[in-house]
Amino acid sequence: MPLPIFPYLCEIVRLEWVRKFFFVKTAPLVTPSHSRGFPELTGKTCTHALFCMMACPAPGAIDVIKTTEGWEPRIHKGHCIRCGLCVEACPNGVLTSGRILESMFYDHTRLSFSFRIDVDTNLCMGCGNCAVACPVNKVIDAQMAYGGRASTDQLLLKVSEGKCHVLYPELCTGCKTCENHCPNEAIRVSRLLEAVHIEEEEI
Amino acid sequence: MSLLQSVKNLVRSHSIHVAYVDVGSCNGCDIEVLACLSPRYDIEQYGIYVHNNPREADILLVIGAYTPGWEEKLHTLWEKIPDPKAAIAIGNCPISGCLFNRPHSLVDPPVSKHIPIAAEVPGCPPRPTEILSAVLSLAPLVFKDYEVAKR
Ligand code: SF4
Ligand code: SF4
Ligand code: SF4
Ligand code: SF4
Repeated sequence: MPLPIFPYLCEIVRLEWVRKFFFVKTAPLVTPSHSRGFPELTGKTCTHALFCMMACPAPGAIDVIKTTEGWEPRIHKGHCIRCGLCVEACPNGVLTSGRILESMFYDHTRLSFSFRIDVDTNLCMGCGNCAVACPVNKVIDAQMAYGGRASTDQLLLKVSEGKCHVLYPELCTGCKTCENHCPNEAIRVSRLLEAVHIEEEEI
Repeated sequence: MSLLQSVKNLVRSHSIHVAYVDVGSCNGCDIEVLACLSPRYDIEQYGIYVHNNPREADILLVIGAYTPGWEEKLHTLWEKIPDPKAAIAIGNCPISGCLFNRPHSLVDPPVSKHIPIAAEVPGCPPRPTEILSAVLSLAPLVFKDYEVAKR
């Protein structure tokens, strides 16, 4: 009996199989809509609450800048880790990423946070960098100059007698700008963030 | 364009050999790079092969925030890669140092200070599709008509 080589080959070398072997590609890869990407603007008005900067864990990832249309958060790729905390922290829903806003709405979760600002007077050398950098100070006194010299006393941070003083801690938004600009690590903003569940009746 | 050059272009577009080096990362990006090898992403169908040998590589994926142990070593490794070559920074770490770039940490980002970086893929970690599309879009820029461009 001759070897049934021809029928065997016919089974193996099917045109469809050969084509698949050489030319197959997986389906084009698309980013699914639920993927948490870099936060994007929703178009709602930013009120300069700065809670996004307070919540952000990555150094230099987010800034709130002033454009001709008003305040606007800017995400810096290469720094942002796409954690989505800024999306959750914003009280106005200015930012969105993946389905964070939807799931917060359906699950009745909110980000609760508290923060505290401390100046170590032993380390502080009164340079005033923190007071100049603080965006809340900037809104109160836009003319504030080098060394933290200002015309008013209604400031959040003010340098007097060679030390930095926190005058109105309730104005602080926890944005950490002062911490990032202090050359001596004298000023510290500690934050505590917690996801809380809100009962339906409260909404 | 000479026939030889077109043959080279064709072959190079289907044979991108990749080496990756971790210069001090949290391992998140390594996992995403290796996920590219999995059947879901299957980089070999695009003609990308992972060869962890710099002497055979065309593209170097740099992962991590550059710890002091890599001084001298990373540059030597880069020299060993034959031309044409390109380095891609994968993740936030080689771009900015990511979360490790804080006072008193030992990392020394960005990696572009130490070797030339041709492309950066931000994210912590980036998705495998983002890594894949970075390699695929960079490869023709570097390898196509390389000899013509060099002249
Ligand atoms: S997603 Fe996370 S890391 Fe990125 S800007 Fe928002 S809080 Fe910062
Ligand atoms: S005191 Fe510091 S943390 Fe508070 S708003 Fe000013 S810069 Fe931000
Ligand atoms: S807290 Fe830091 S930045 Fe502010 S005045 Fe003191 S040393 Fe300067
Ligand atoms: S970018 Fe993020 S995931 Fe990648 S190595 Fe750095 S810390 Fe890890």
